[in-house]
Amino acid sequence: MTSDAGVRDPAHCFHCGEPNPPRSPWRTTIGAADAFFCCAGCVAVAQTIGAAGLSSFYALREHDSAQQRDGQSELVTEAACASTWIRLGDDGLSEVALLVDGMHCGACVWLLERFLQGQPGVRSASVNFATRRAQLRFSGSETGLRELLAAVARIGYRAFPYDPRRREALVRRESRSLLLRTSIALLAMMQVMMFAVPAYVSTDGVDPEYQALMNWASLILTLPVMLYSAAPFFVGAWRDLRMHRPGMDVPIALGIAAAFSASAYATVTRNGAVYFDSVTMFVALVLVARLVELRVRETAGDALESIAREMPRMAERLDCYPGGRVRDMVPAAELEPGAFVRIAAGASVPVDGVIVEGRSSVEEAVLTGESWPRAKAIGDAVMAGSVNRESPLIVRVTAAGASTTLAALSRLVERAANERPRIARLSDHAASVFVVALLAVAAISGAAWWTIDPSRALPVAFAVLVVSCPCALSLATPAALAAAAGAMGRRHVLCVRPDVLETLSRVTHVVLDKTGTLTTGDVHLTGITCHGTTDAEACKAIAGALEQGATHPIARALALQPRDLAAQDIVAVPGCGVEGVVDGVRYRLGRPDWAAAICALPASLDDVDGEGAETVVLLASDSGWIGSLRFGDTLRPSARSLVTSLRTMGLRVSLVSGDRESTVAQIAQAVGIDDQHAATKPDAKRAFVAALQARGAVVAMIGDGLNDAPGLARADVSIALGNAAALTQWTADAVMIGGDLARIAFAFRAARRTFRVIRENLGWALVYNLLAIPLAVSDHLSPLAAAVGMSVSSLVVVGNAWRLAGMNRIEPADAPPSMADAQWSSTVRYHAPSAAIT
Amino acid sequence: MDILFLLIPLSVVLVLLIGAGFWWAANNGQFDDLDGPAHRILADDDRPH
Repeated sequence: MTSDAGVRDPAHCFHCGEPNPPRSPWRTTIGAADAFFCCAGCVAVAQTIGAAGLSSFYALREHDSAQQRDGQSELVTEAACASTWIRLGDDGLSEVALLVDGMHCGACVWLLERFLQGQPGVRSASVNFATRRAQLRFSGSETGLRELLAAVARIGYRAFPYDPRRREALVRRESRSLLLRTSIALLAMMQVMMFAVPAYVSTDGVDPEYQALMNWASLILTLPVMLYSAAPFFVGAWRDLRMHRPGMDVPIALGIAAAFSASAYATVTRNGAVYFDSVTMFVALVLVARLVELRVRETAGDALESIAREMPRMAERLDCYPGGRVRDMVPAAELEPGAFVRIAAGASVPVDGVIVEGRSSVEEAVLTGESWPRAKAIGDAVMAGSVNRESPLIVRVTAAGASTTLAALSRLVERAANERPRIARLSDHAASVFVVALLAVAAISGAAWWTIDPSRALPVAFAVLVVSCPCALSLATPAALAAAAGAMGRRHVLCVRPDVLETLSRVTHVVLDKTGTLTTGDVHLTGITCHGTTDAEACKAIAGALEQGATHPIARALALQPRDLAAQDIVAVPGCGVEGVVDGVRYRLGRPDWAAAICALPASLDDVDGEGAETVVLLASDSGWIGSLRFGDTLRPSARSLVTSLRTMGLRVSLVSGDRESTVAQIAQAVGIDDQHAATKPDAKRAFVAALQARGAVVAMIGDGLNDAPGLARADVSIALGNAAALTQWTADAVMIGGDLARIAFAFRAARRTFRVIRENLGWALVYNLLAIPLAVSDHLSPLAAAVGMSVSSLVVVGNAWRLAGMNRIEPADAPPSMADAQWSSTVRYHAPSAAIT
Repeated sequence: MDILFLLIPLSVVLVLLIGAGFWWAANNGQFDDLDGPAHRILADDDRPH
């Protein structure tokens, strides 16, 4: 084997590329020369690879293998719950699917396959590079899952039992069979066309002997198309008829069945015309349109699902922590709150919990849309689905399995996906009315032609059935909706309710909240003015005690202060502040005019005014003002561009906030809003939205949740911003995770484009059907022309909807998760099997 | 032109064979991974069989 001088460098490990210790004691002979290693583990891996005769791996690999991460091999060997993952095949062999982490290139696929096939008991191993999965068949009596996982770990990869979800299997079967049906129809179509050409081109007719031969050949080739390729149409038509909801499958099935039987009859009796070419071509092209539609839906579904897929299924539980540290691999869903789990560096967090040991940085991209890791230390919360980047953490479980935030998020998305939007229901309804009318037209024109010229009756009825195209309603509308939802999902704008897209596209007026929406909501204390004898520290302590447990941004800022006081009788007044008793004294903390009302002193509020965009909160007791606390907030960088793009779309933008006039005015000026409403309480926000609606506006409200709840509920469509933690309490129609406001503008644009495309498709379908159906009824369209016309029309509308899936190319989503450094998450976000059909 | 009586049935048989071949290929997962095999062909086992 060849040796790479760079890799043989004694200063760096031959296997992993890490720097070697000086005069490394770990060395072995690879090929003809000695190689040096950084640790005993790497020597062992290299020797295992060499002993298996696979050392050309080192020449083939494109990068040095990823650095071994702390504790992962024992983690793998302890994966004990084997029975859950192994499926017993019909032939007595066990089958398991493994998710393999750490594959970089084709060489890894080759190495893994060869190595696994060489293991005792393994009958076959196939590794899929695109999905990063290994499919193993082995004899259960000779080896076990534990041995196989250990074997994979010995050559430096991480393998996890992968539970092939049922839906994924379904999608795979669906796309495979559709691909097969389409290809067979296309194949038959080409050959049947060849047999049809002589009849079309000959001027004096084809010799009946040859014509009969070609008819028989066409019949044989059309049979598989009718029996296999067209089966979904017959099944669909039967299902539609049983449910009394005729869809587009009914005329298709009727048309091809009638044309095929008539042609078969004509072939057998050697009398009459045959339409095999029309039948096969029609089936083939309609299937192509469906294939395109399936692709659109799959790429969309993929984006939404990747969110739910991030969840690791196994967790490393620490029994008797903190006393002992016995590790045990258990299914993550079975953990009880209060248990302790260890999360290795580079691993995904399996549960919601609080850090009790260690510090690290954690990437929460899936939950917050924020791709930069956040520093986390003892006492900080971590959420299932985020990735621990730096060093191991020990976490006390607060929620596991179905109760985690991630699970709640995926349930929301799932619910939205299951509910059908109004426009889709309308389309379906319209399509079934259309189909019923169409069947009537076909029957009437067939009957009419029977009296005029019986030989034309069947071709005319067939042409009418085939030429009409309800696919703008049945195929293209759902595809367009799915494509748009997918494009938004990739930007972490999740539609929680079904009609969001439609309403968004009609919006005329956008109402923005300030705190947490235009600003980051990361409020911090900027200064304290003391009005009485109490000093600044005491002010902070009292305020902190009053706000303890609250989730308002100001409360969070105060929670950072040391807290040794406790408050009783806390009453929170939304939009005003909080009232409570500390050390026997009743205090109010909140909006200056409201807080000042607790004491008899006149509220000359100028005294407490802060500088510009600061928010001022007054702390007062019955005896007088104690202090005013000033809080600063940062404007989100994308706030101004959001307002500008909403304006360019012709939307009116208003800013409502519970804050003081001067604060709101400054923010409004900074982002370019002239319609601003300060000191608005939650109920007033609701009234404001209602007033706009009374004037005929379609209002979208964008807020951060709690304080805006009434307004969000009242608005025609609402988008809530923020992290996933508080998701479930929100009344919003859509949720944007993360802080990039540009995505909101994108959501508006996407909704508008989607509905423009749907309207275009409906317009096209209307014009097309109005032209084509009269032509067919009056016998000006041959069945072949009708089949071409309908298929082309389907492709036009579905292709038009496909343009929506391309929105990502025009406006790229945030930086894609980099495959190089997102270790575990990148492997889970595998490509859909459908990628293979393109 | 009698040759048509041979050629046309032959073409039908051929199409059916191609269709069956395609069927086999799709059901064997030949279209599932279009990336891996391209890399795999470059790799070779350095142990004589």
